[in-house]
Amino acid sequence: MAALAAGVGAAWLAVRRDFEPYQTADWPLALLVGWSFVGSGLVAWRQQPRNRLGPAMVFTGFAWFATFLTDAHVRWLFTVGTALESVYLVGFVFIVLSFPTGRLRGRLDRALIWAAIGLVSVVEIVSLVFTDSRAVLCSGCPSNVFQVSRNDGLANGILEGQRVTGALLALFAVGLLVRRWRAASELQRRSVAPVLWAGSATIAVLAVSIANDAAGDPLGQGAKWVGYCVFASVPIAVLVVLLQRRLARGAIAGLVVELGDRSRGSDLRDALARALGDPALDLAYWFAAADRYVDADGGPVELPVPDGTRVVTVVERDGQPVAALIHDPALAENLELVESVCAAAALTLENERLQAELRARLVELRASRARLVEAGATERRRIERDLHDGAQQRLISIAMSLGLVEARLPEDPLSAAPIVREAREALGLALAELRELSQGIYPSMLSERGLAAALDELARSAALPVALDARLPGRLPPPVEAAAYFVVSEALANAAKHSHATDARVTAAVVDGVFAMEITDDGIGGAGGGAGTGLRGLADRVEALGGRFTITSPPGRGTTIRAEIPCA
Amino acid sequence: MRVVVADDAVLLREGLARLLAEAGFEIAGLASDADELLVLVEQTRPAVAIVDIRMPPTHTDEGLQAARVIRARWPEVGILVLSQHVRASYALELLAGGSAGIGYLLKERVSDLRELAASVERVAQGDSVLDPLVVEQLVGRPRHGHDPLEHLTDREREVLALMAEGRSNRAIAERLFVTEHTVEKHVKHIFATLRLPLSPDDHRRVLAVVSYLNAQ
Repeated sequence: MAALAAGVGAAWLAVRRDFEPYQTADWPLALLVGWSFVGSGLVAWRQQPRNRLGPAMVFTGFAWFATFLTDAHVRWLFTVGTALESVYLVGFVFIVLSFPTGRLRGRLDRALIWAAIGLVSVVEIVSLVFTDSRAVLCSGCPSNVFQVSRNDGLANGILEGQRVTGALLALFAVGLLVRRWRAASELQRRSVAPVLWAGSATIAVLAVSIANDAAGDPLGQGAKWVGYCVFASVPIAVLVVLLQRRLARGAIAGLVVELGDRSRGSDLRDALARALGDPALDLAYWFAAADRYVDADGGPVELPVPDGTRVVTVVERDGQPVAALIHDPALAENLELVESVCAAAALTLENERLQAELRARLVELRASRARLVEAGATERRRIERDLHDGAQQRLISIAMSLGLVEARLPEDPLSAAPIVREAREALGLALAELRELSQGIYPSMLSERGLAAALDELARSAALPVALDARLPGRLPPPVEAAAYFVVSEALANAAKHSHATDARVTAAVVDGVFAMEITDDGIGGAGGGAGTGLRGLADRVEALGGRFTITSPPGRGTTIRAEIPCA
Repeated sequence: MRVVVADDAVLLREGLARLLAEAGFEIAGLASDADELLVLVEQTRPAVAIVDIRMPPTHTDEGLQAARVIRARWPEVGILVLSQHVRASYALELLAGGSAGIGYLLKERVSDLRELAASVERVAQGDSVLDPLVVEQLVGRPRHGHDPLEHLTDREREVLALMAEGRSNRAIAERLFVTEHTVEKHVKHIFATLRLPLSPDDHRRVLAVVSYLNAQ
C-alpha cells in the first residue's frame, strides 16, 4: 500500500513538475522500476523471511521513489529528494553483490558498500551545504534548505568528484563480480546468472547514458527508457531465481515418487542428483563398524577436505550419521532444499546405508580371507625353510658322519668314537628344532588337554611373568581354542619383544556363550593392528570365527588386547 | 632287570628294546597301546614300565592315564614316561600320584644309552627322575614381583636344579666335584631360604622342590 501511495505521489510530482532538466515524460516507466523493486522484494521477503534480499529490494524501491521528491515544489521535500537521490544505487549494488544469500562475502564487499553509503550520504549532504540549487542543479527548482553558504565552484567540484568516485566504485563492483564468476562452480554460475546479467546490463546502460550525457545527448530519451527497463528487470531476475528454487523444491515430490517405485538398480545417487540439480553429486554411506564412509559398493571413501570446490553435508538420524552428500558449494546456499531432499530420502538413505554396510563387510571379508590364505601360504613357506635349513641339514651331516664311521670301523674303530659323539649332538639339535617347529604348527597341549592347560603352559614358558586367570568350563570348539591360543601366544611374544613389558596378565572366561579373553601388559604401548603385523593376522583369525578383536595401546600406557568369540 | 616298553611307533619301540637289551635289561614284553601295556604289566610285573605319553586311540595323553592306573594297581612297578615335549605340568601330575619310582624324560634322551640306563635303574630303585630341560624351565621361568630364587648363589641354584632332577646328595656331589657334606650344607641353606621343610627321602624332596618351583 505504502509503495502504491509512494508511486502515486511520485507520479503526481512528476506530472506537476515545471522545471528543467529532470524526469519528464518518462515517469510511467520510472514508476515501473520502483514498483518492480518493491513488489519483487515483498514476494521474496514472504518466500524467504530470513533472506535479506527481500527487504533490500523493498528498500531500493522506496529509495528510488525518493528520487522523485526532486520534482517537488516544496523546499524541504525537494531538498530531501536531492539528498537521497543516489541511495537506491547502494541498494542495487548490495542486491547484486549479496545475491543469492543476502549476505555480503568478504571484506572487499563490505568496504565497497560502506564507501558507497558514505558517498551518497555524508558527501552528498556536505555538498548540499555549499550548493545553490538553482545555480548548480536546475533552473527554476526550489531552494536548498541545507544551504549555508554559496560556493558554486566547490559544489560543482564535489558533484564531479562524487560522480567519478561513483563510477570507480561501480567498476570495482564489476571487478568483484567478474572475479566471483570465474571462481564459481557451474551450478553456482547457473543460479546467479539471471541476476548477474540483469545487473551487468544495468551497469552497461548506465555507462552508456553517462557517455550520452557527456556527448550532448545524441541518443535522446531512448537510452533512458532502455535504462529503466533494464533496471526494472533486476528485481524480476532476483525473484525468478528465488522462485526457481521454490520450483526445485517441487522436485522433492518427484523424488518421493521416484524413490517409491524404485526397483533396485535405479540409483539413489542419480535421483538425488536430479532433485538437487547437481549432476556431480556424490553419496557416501556411514560404515559404523569401521568408523568411516564407504560407497554404495562398500569400497572406502575419503570425504573431500572442504576447499570451496566440493562441500560435504552429513545426513544424520537419531544423532548417528547415515550418509554424507558431497555436493556443489552452490547447494550450501540453499540448505533448505538439501534438508528437504534428505528428509524425503531419509528412509531410502538408511536402507542404502545398510546395503552399503553389508557390501563393505563383504569387501572386508574378502580381504581378510585373502589375508588368511596368504598367511597360511607364508606359514608353509616358513616351515619349509625351517625344515630345510635346520633339521634336514643336520640329518644330512649325521648321515655323512655315519658313512665315515662305517668306513673307519674295520680298520680304526677307536677313531670313530668322536665322530659318533658329534653325530649324536647334531641329532639332539635336530630333535630340539623339530620339537619347536611342531609346537609352532599346532600346540599339542591344546589337543591333549584343552585351552586352559595350554594357556597355563604358555604362561609358564613366556619370556615375562604372566598372571593367568582362566575360568573355562571344559573344552571349547577346537577352532576357538586354537585362535585363543595363538592370540595369547602372539600377544605375550609382542609384550616381551616389542613392548618391553615386565609384566602381563591374561584373563579368559566364557560368559553367556561367548568366549572372552583379555591380555594386558605394562609395556610402552603404541602397538597397531596394521597390515603385515602379526596382530592383523590374529584379528582375521578371530573375526573369521565371527568374533571381535580390539587393540588398545596408547603410547606409554601398555597394551590391552581383547578378543571375543561366540562359542555356544 | 625286567622292563616293558609301550610305544605305538614300531621303530621306536623296537629300537628302544634293542638299546635296553644292549644295556643289560631283560625285555619282558612290548606294547603298542595303553590297553596292551596294562595287560602286559599285569602278566609280567616288570621292575619298570617305559611308556610313551602319546598313544592310540586319541594320541593325546593315554600314556599318562595308563601310568596312573599302573601306579594305583601295582605300586611296586616303576614308571618312566617318555614325552615329545617339555611339559612341567605333566611331570608334576605324575609325581603328585606318588613320587617314588617315577620318571619323566624327553624322548630324545634315548640317544644317550648310559643316561637312559641310569635313569631306568634309578626309577627301579624307587627314585624320581625329572628331565633337566623340564627343571630348567621351572627354575628359569620369570616370576612376579619378588623372586626368592635371587637369594640363592649360582652354586645353590645348580644344587636346586639337580635336586629337582631327582638326584641324591651323593650323585650331586659327584656331579659338582664336591663332598657330600658340602652338598648337604647347600641343601639346608636352600630349604631355609625358600622356607621349605626338609624331607627325609630324595623322591619326596623332588616333589617338594618341583611343587615349590611350579607354584611360584
